[in-house]
Amino acid sequence: MTSTHSTRVDVVVIGAGLAGLTAARELVAAGRSVAVLEARDRVGGRLLNHDLGDGQVTEIGGQFVGPTQDHILALAKEVGVATYEAAVPCERVYVRDGKARRFAGHTPPDLLALPDMGIALARIGRAAGKVPPAAPWRAPNARDLDGMTYETWLRKAEVTGDAVDLINIFLNSAYGGEARDASALFSLWYVSTFGDEIHPGTMERGTGTSGGAQDSRFVGGSQLVATRLAEELDGRVHLSAPVRRISQDADGVTVVSDAGDWRADRVIVAVPPLLASRIVWDPLLPPQQDQLFQRLPFGTLMKCVAVYDTPFWRAEGLSGMGLLRGGSPIREMFDNSPPDGGPGVLMGFLGGKEWRKWAHRPAGERRGAVLRSFAQVVGERAYDTVDYVEQDWTAEQWTRGGPTSVAAPGVLTEYGEWLGRAFGRVHWAGSEFSPYWNGFMDGAVRSGRHTATELLHQS
Amino acid sequence: MTKFHVTERAVVDAPVERVWEVVSRTDRYAEWVASAIEVTDHHGIAALGGTYAERNRTLGPLRTDSVWTVVEIDPLRRRVDAGVGFAPLKEVTSIFEFEPVRSADGREVTRMTYKVEYVIGLGPLGLLLDRIQQPGMRANMRTSMANLNTLIRSETLSVRG
Repeated sequence: MTSTHSTRVDVVVIGAGLAGLTAARELVAAGRSVAVLEARDRVGGRLLNHDLGDGQVTEIGGQFVGPTQDHILALAKEVGVATYEAAVPCERVYVRDGKARRFAGHTPPDLLALPDMGIALARIGRAAGKVPPAAPWRAPNARDLDGMTYETWLRKAEVTGDAVDLINIFLNSAYGGEARDASALFSLWYVSTFGDEIHPGTMERGTGTSGGAQDSRFVGGSQLVATRLAEELDGRVHLSAPVRRISQDADGVTVVSDAGDWRADRVIVAVPPLLASRIVWDPLLPPQQDQLFQRLPFGTLMKCVAVYDTPFWRAEGLSGMGLLRGGSPIREMFDNSPPDGGPGVLMGFLGGKEWRKWAHRPAGERRGAVLRSFAQVVGERAYDTVDYVEQDWTAEQWTRGGPTSVAAPGVLTEYGEWLGRAFGRVHWAGSEFSPYWNGFMDGAVRSGRHTATELLHQS
Repeated sequence: MTKFHVTERAVVDAPVERVWEVVSRTDRYAEWVASAIEVTDHHGIAALGGTYAERNRTLGPLRTDSVWTVVEIDPLRRRVDAGVGFAPLKEVTSIFEFEPVRSADGREVTRMTYKVEYVIGLGPLGLLLDRIQQPGMRANMRTSMANLNTLIRSETLSVRG
């Protein structure tokens, strides 16, 4: 099976996102020869910087980090990428049915919604605390929880229905979807991953800004971490090399890519699970694993970014952060300006059903709808943009959605145990394989390290 | 049966061609017509005899499903649609009229007239009902034209954008 033209290495890593690059770094440090094959003409996967000019960037992919995400924070430090506080210490805006109200702190000023939200958060906390992050299918009542959607589970204790809508604001960006898209077990597991081995996951940490998952950003943009890792790998990363076929035999693995063939003792596949299932496998993937990967699609998410001369809203005491309810295409938005405060950048998530409503509309109409959402939060100067950018992750050939995999009812309990199981000489990495911060940058780094360690112990 | 006429006027800060273009899109009414929660069916660019359907707010928390038929098109000048589904209001007609004018600084803008005509039966009770509902209807008509102005502004690239 060995191709006469293949390049020989110890390990081929497929995918130059954070997980693949981290795994490659660990393997190189352990003395292995490594080739990283990346389908795109850039590294970073779901991390993507947008150039604002004058050396400034903003992110149009993953961007936030926070407490207990020690793996990504340590890695960034090692490669010389600093962090800064993401939140602007000013008031936020809560918009409901077109009526905007400013508020301070984390609690939206909606007395009618708060009891429902309080009940929901208490239930989520109790239930998520019983889900083992490394094996959610072993949770008490796992089959019951996996037999219903998260929305169904939430509505069991609702009074007004406001909790589902408020949680959907978070899931709009976190899932690129809504509570009805995911199983209750998956969603409670997702919450249980918002922590580490010492600190159990909590909804507050996952949704929070200061002190939560949206606490900090990277100076120079999150993609810089991946760029620095690739630089360290010093020629081992091969761009524009989409992998088409992976063949295993008794002696090794042959990886066929558009940039040539590689022969390795072992392979780490660090691409989204659904895309992994689309590679031609010889022999075929174990059918349970193949079915699982087909059932872990990414959500539908677009990041919409408006650029201004200055972050003008700050002078008016506004943080640029808004929560919007009642039909707004943007349901959650942030001040995404560079650390020195100029130019001003507002970023909103267009996800889930709002993505389905707006993604196919003419760009000018969608842009208008996004700016109208921004204007509800920061006023009419939102229309005076100097630039406007959209990143639709569903249109990325090598991602096909975002930001992470979301499992519908039945997936975790029926197939979950196959998630990270090595397939012969093939190992899996990616943020979707992590028991902590699943779907986040920290999960990707954890997974890359874990898989590299697993591989080193087996070879 | 008493026939009622409600008229509101506003200036939309855009040339009449642009205003006409947006108003002609039957799929877009939920984006600027204040009473429209959702367009549930439509035929795209308004055509004579074409219909579209909406979910509407009426009075307070009340909702209704309406169906509109385009009955008159005078390009860039006038659109007339007839609606059903607003009981006890009957024979509901919506009329948009447009006139190109100049703003104080010389830009092309559009004077828009928004009329709604309808009939309410029920005798004296109908008159009472109209006194209750008409202020809300007027407010919605004014809000709709303001929304239309905002929508067009939001889709107009700023000088530097």
